[in-house]
Amino acid sequence: MEVRIAGITKIFAPDIVALEDVFLTVEKGEFVYLIGTTGSGKTTLLRLITREIVPTRGQISVGNQNLRKIRASELPYYRRSIGVVFQDFKLLPDLTVFENVAFVLEAMGVPPRIVQTRVNEVIDLVGLWRRRFLKPMQLSGGERQRVAIARAMANSPSIFLADEPTGNLDLHTSEEIVRLLLSINAAGTTVIVATHDQYLVDAYRQRVVELHDGRLKRDEKRGRYVIDGEL
Amino acid sequence: MGSFRYILRDTLRLITRHWGLSILTLLTTVTVLFLLGLSSLFALNLRHMVNRVEGELVVQAYLKNGSDASGLAGRIRSVSYVRDVRVISPEEALDRLRAKLGNQAKAVTLLGENPLPWGLEIQVEKASFVSMLVRDLVALPSVEEVVYSGQLADKLSRISVLATRVSGAIMLLGAIISSLVIFNTIRIALYSKSEEIQVMLLVGATRTYIAFPFVLQGLFLGTIGAVLAVVALASGYAYVVSVLKATLPFVVMLQNQTFLLKFHLILLGTGMTLGWMCSWFAVTRFITRAARPS
Ligand SMILES: Nc1ncnc2c1ncn2[C@@H]1O[C@H](COP(=O)(O)OP(=O)(O)O)[C@@H](O)[C@H]1O
Ligand SMILES: [Mg+2]
Repeated sequence: MEVRIAGITKIFAPDIVALEDVFLTVEKGEFVYLIGTTGSGKTTLLRLITREIVPTRGQISVGNQNLRKIRASELPYYRRSIGVVFQDFKLLPDLTVFENVAFVLEAMGVPPRIVQTRVNEVIDLVGLWRRRFLKPMQLSGGERQRVAIARAMANSPSIFLADEPTGNLDLHTSEEIVRLLLSINAAGTTVIVATHDQYLVDAYRQRVVELHDGRLKRDEKRGRYVIDGEL
Repeated sequence: MGSFRYILRDTLRLITRHWGLSILTLLTTVTVLFLLGLSSLFALNLRHMVNRVEGELVVQAYLKNGSDASGLAGRIRSVSYVRDVRVISPEEALDRLRAKLGNQAKAVTLLGENPLPWGLEIQVEKASFVSMLVRDLVALPSVEEVVYSGQLADKLSRISVLATRVSGAIMLLGAIISSLVIFNTIRIALYSKSEEIQVMLLVGATRTYIAFPFVLQGLFLGTIGAVLAVVALASGYAYVVSVLKATLPFVVMLQNQTFLLKFHLILLGTGMTLGWMCSWFAVTRFITRAARPS
């Protein structure tokens, strides 16, 4: 599914402008780095796509869904088409690695036997087979990150959003995770990765979209820089 | 449906995770429903007794010599709350007296002439009409004296009205208390799971799926609470009935089994409904807030 963001402005109460007049189209099957310093609006943009928040102005459509018109009853089904790796992981502390991944599928009414097979599959894929019965507290940062990735990919979403998936990780682990994301993309999934890790962006070259103070500063695919007046 | 297994599992987890709170809620629900049932049973029994006494309620009016007994009887019979009027002749009164007094009755007949007056025996529909009737009868010039066994019924009827009111208030209060307790327990469960609920919403769980375990938890608490209260009430009642039968045989308690069964079923239904409604209300409110986009 492609993502069309047209003239989005997001102002948080009372007057924090997180995004201003952003236009961005991500085609089906594309891999996009969303970069920018902390506070530039990356997380806000991803939260708009999952419709966790709604824009102050502008339109977002994903596939043929206009997010402004989506009904509350349709929202769960829309969200199932998107896999999200949250910046703070949002793993459930009381559940094991296995259960953390499984509960997404369970919430969709997938039968237990299929849940079992699929969860084992993705846990193996992210390299956590031996950790599957541990709880998040017992895992390292990189391992938690991979649980979050496994959970986001469990139901084979058409869009994959990852918010700083390599934040606070060492270089080696970061590279492993980016390779994982690239392999997800290789299977045909649209991937948007928010990061401020310049090294990775340079090492695994893909389309780069840069935000600065909530404005679109650079979109490499377009082959030109969109520069703010002051810069 | 596959989801139902997960829902049941999560319900069980909810109940066992806060088992201390669950037990506390159960205890409160049981106590409150028990008191609620107890007060209703008390009121129902009072009314039952009043009804019985009322059935036997008779006002007797003794007439002055030479008054027209049957004419007066006809007039009284036309009063709306009067069920029946019988004219008692002096001869019948004497027969009754003889039957009552046995040998001593000879003393009455020794006088040679029957000294007893004409009388009326009036049955009324309800005890509460007795005092009105007596007042009216006393005012009649042809009535010499009015005697009625109704003071007891009169008092009982007043107590019964009061008891119905008090038990109504207790029922209302009980319903409110148990609602609040169950509501609060579900709310605590919701808050302890708010992170999980948030994540579930984000990964595409439907509200119904998220809400179900909490609603079932409330239904469970209400139902188990009501079942325990009904068991305690039914056995307690049976015990009281047997004790009273042995010690105070003139106190006639309500023993209509179908009626009692219905009563207990209603109590059970009340507990279940309260549990289900309170948790449904708490969950809906919570999830609607959690799902609101900013
Ligand atoms: N819920 C919110 N309420 C108020 N301000 C917010 C909220 N979320 C984000 N912001 C502000 O919006 C700006 C962009 O934040 P964010 O999208 O998190 O940036 P990034 O992810 O690029 O670090 C920041 O100034 C941040 O403080
Ligand atoms: Mg961020």
